[in-house]
Amino acid sequence: MLFNSLIFVVFFIIVVTLHYSLKNWSTQKKLLLVASYLFYAAWNPPFVLLLWLSTIVDWYAAKNIESAQNKSSKKFWLSISLLMNLGLLGFFKYGNFALESLTAGLGLMGMQVQWAAMDIILPVGISFYTFQTLSYTLDVYRGHLKTSNSFLDFALYVTFFPQLVAGPIVRATDFLPQCETPKRANASQFSWGLYFMCLGLFQKVVLADVMLAPAADAVFNWAKGPLVPLDSWIGTLAFSGQIFFDFAGYSTCAIGVALCLGFVIPDNFKFPYAAMGFSDFWRRWHISLSGWLRDYLYISIGGNKHGAARTFINLMITMLLGGLWHGASWTFVAWGALHGLYLIVERAIQLIFKNTNITSKRSARVLIRLVTFFFVTISWVFFRSQSFEKVMLTLLAMFGGIADGAQILATIEIYKVATVILLLVGCHWYMRESHIEFFMEKLPKWSIALLWGLMIFAIIIAQGGNNAFIYFQF
Amino acid sequence: MRSSISSSNSLERVIPKQQWGKLAVSSFIIALLLTLGWEMYWRSKGYAPTLNDNKDLWSLTREKVNTHPSRTVLIGASRMLFDFDMQVWKEKYNELPLQLATVGTNPSIYLDHLANESNFKGTLLLGITPPLFFVPEGMPVDNPKSNIDFYNKFSPAQRISYYLGLVLDRNLAFVEQEDIPLTKIFEDLPIANRPKAKVGPKLPPYFMSIDENRQGRMHLRKGHEQVILDRIAKGWVPLFTPPPPPPMFTPEQFKKMFMEHVNKTIVKAKENVSKIQARGGKVILIRFPSTGKVRELENKFAPRVAFWDRLATEIGANQSIHFEDHQELQGFDCPEQSHLRASDATEFTKRLLRKLH
Repeated sequence: MLFNSLIFVVFFIIVVTLHYSLKNWSTQKKLLLVASYLFYAAWNPPFVLLLWLSTIVDWYAAKNIESAQNKSSKKFWLSISLLMNLGLLGFFKYGNFALESLTAGLGLMGMQVQWAAMDIILPVGISFYTFQTLSYTLDVYRGHLKTSNSFLDFALYVTFFPQLVAGPIVRATDFLPQCETPKRANASQFSWGLYFMCLGLFQKVVLADVMLAPAADAVFNWAKGPLVPLDSWIGTLAFSGQIFFDFAGYSTCAIGVALCLGFVIPDNFKFPYAAMGFSDFWRRWHISLSGWLRDYLYISIGGNKHGAARTFINLMITMLLGGLWHGASWTFVAWGALHGLYLIVERAIQLIFKNTNITSKRSARVLIRLVTFFFVTISWVFFRSQSFEKVMLTLLAMFGGIADGAQILATIEIYKVATVILLLVGCHWYMRESHIEFFMEKLPKWSIALLWGLMIFAIIIAQGGNNAFIYFQF
Repeated sequence: MRSSISSSNSLERVIPKQQWGKLAVSSFIIALLLTLGWEMYWRSKGYAPTLNDNKDLWSLTREKVNTHPSRTVLIGASRMLFDFDMQVWKEKYNELPLQLATVGTNPSIYLDHLANESNFKGTLLLGITPPLFFVPEGMPVDNPKSNIDFYNKFSPAQRISYYLGLVLDRNLAFVEQEDIPLTKIFEDLPIANRPKAKVGPKLPPYFMSIDENRQGRMHLRKGHEQVILDRIAKGWVPLFTPPPPPPMFTPEQFKKMFMEHVNKTIVKAKENVSKIQARGGKVILIRFPSTGKVRELENKFAPRVAFWDRLATEIGANQSIHFEDHQELQGFDCPEQSHLRASDATEFTKRLLRKLH
């Protein structure tokens, strides 16, 4: 079920009405659990079985880890959880990719093989909920978390529909305590939640799909040769904005829906295009994933505790796997590798200039933000392109390496992208050290009502069809 | 100020100090008033509530082939959609055919789909617009493939959303997915493109309607004369004029490659027709009327001998009906040279059915 669909509007109204008409907290949670399963089944009902499998296996694995008398027993139950979750993820998400890569690899060695096509359907959001439920068993294993006493609370944690399919990836330490006491949003919280929902939908339906997607799609779906530099840059910038508005829009909606139900889920984006450096970027972009990778992967393989060289290797491993998490394709791996390289170079520069405060000057800060945005934008070419051939053609065109490229963008698309990207980056720079709540508090009432009304109107007249959120595929 | 604060116990989210309840009500009233104004504006432009010819409606119709594999099915492009009156068929045969034709479509994609991915064994009326049937790539191929792909992944959520959307479709004129979505409004802004930009022509609005059985109708009223002229100049002329050969090929090489594609298309169509016939089905080819400049272009770039006649004789269809071969099917006026107005579609279908055997 998409947030930007009529069925969700009806579903939300019914769930909220029932949630607030029930008096018993346990019954309310059961309602939310059933609603969450319905929300997920609305895509493909049989895949609810995978959710149940993850929930049941991790519930028992965590209980056994906690009660285990020795380390090997703990490790055994953790392995069960890891094998089950990563096995499901590996089969459904990477099965086809592994087979294709193996075929290509054997082909390079002169062995031509033909496998039967597996035609595996990717369950929506599997990358998100497997990471979420894995964090529970890992936290229990590390002794950071006591297991939940309520299977209902745990099942709701795994399945809570606002963030089930595209995050934010919520930690059990943040969610389970909220299940202990009845949750009821007051009028202000509920209305603020509605505002977040409208803001998120506006980002997705209007800014991503109407303003930016046409140019990004035209450029990256163009398969008839190279393009002129202007079109290549506009297409790439358009995708930089589209991926932000699409994904941040989903997270904002999710936060709003949860708030309307009385729950709080954490921020997933903090004005990332104002980042000063790449580690700052990853503290602002898809925060819940980068935090997960940091806590459960980077630190687990040693982090920065074993010297510079080992730190660089660990950074690269983390970002390579982070890239692969986004999609079963070598272009995603290359995207991750590029960000790994960015982080390594940044870390090396910090080591070299560790006694110099290079960010003390305003001009230096501006330059660093621009450089960060530039390199992040370049990396999106890898993320969006369907093949390395397209990556090379786009990058060569962007940097003037190809003569006689085609012009394919209408002038209005160029104006739309330039306007939205300038406003986006300007807004991120202005808001870099602030928060939307602080900003909204200062705005006069009439302007909030007008802006909010205009956003709703724009969502209505956009008439977005069946455009799924980009991150659903991950 | 933090928007969400993680503590040892739980998260908190700060709510800005504003009267959010009143603001919510005010903003919804503003949005409602703007939307009412938007609706009135588009009604004043000649639009009226109609269903949208979208992938959901196509998928729901396609599903009926699975449950009623012996029903008559219509495939083709816009001429089959607008020019064939399904009610006339029902009056004669007591059941509505299933309309799967879509605008600007190469119907060989649908023929292939029905032959290989369904249990269809009824009568298939295949509308032939020769240039479209042999288009190898681009929108005429992508659109039907995208419909089939959508049908294969049609989810329960999409199905319910579609039925909910019908309420809006039937009551609001601005809920129209061809001319009025925001993306289209931006595209139609009078901003000149770069001289060398490969951007398709801006298509004028098209006054069509469709019902829940996918019966399409073209509506042209007084005041739409300029729309008709624009549709011919910017829509049909580019669509029916083949693209120039790519720079790496001479015109002769390009023509040879295209004719090889035509031969392959005919061989594949024959295979697909045979598969349907082997299940007990029938395939009937129909060539709907066109007039004026459009007819000239069709005759020039897709001459009857090289295309229609080959299809009619080589793919093994049970029957082939070309409007030029029957006195009764001639003389119809196509206001924008490519389609019949609704009243003529009814009469044309009555006469067409008399030719079927």
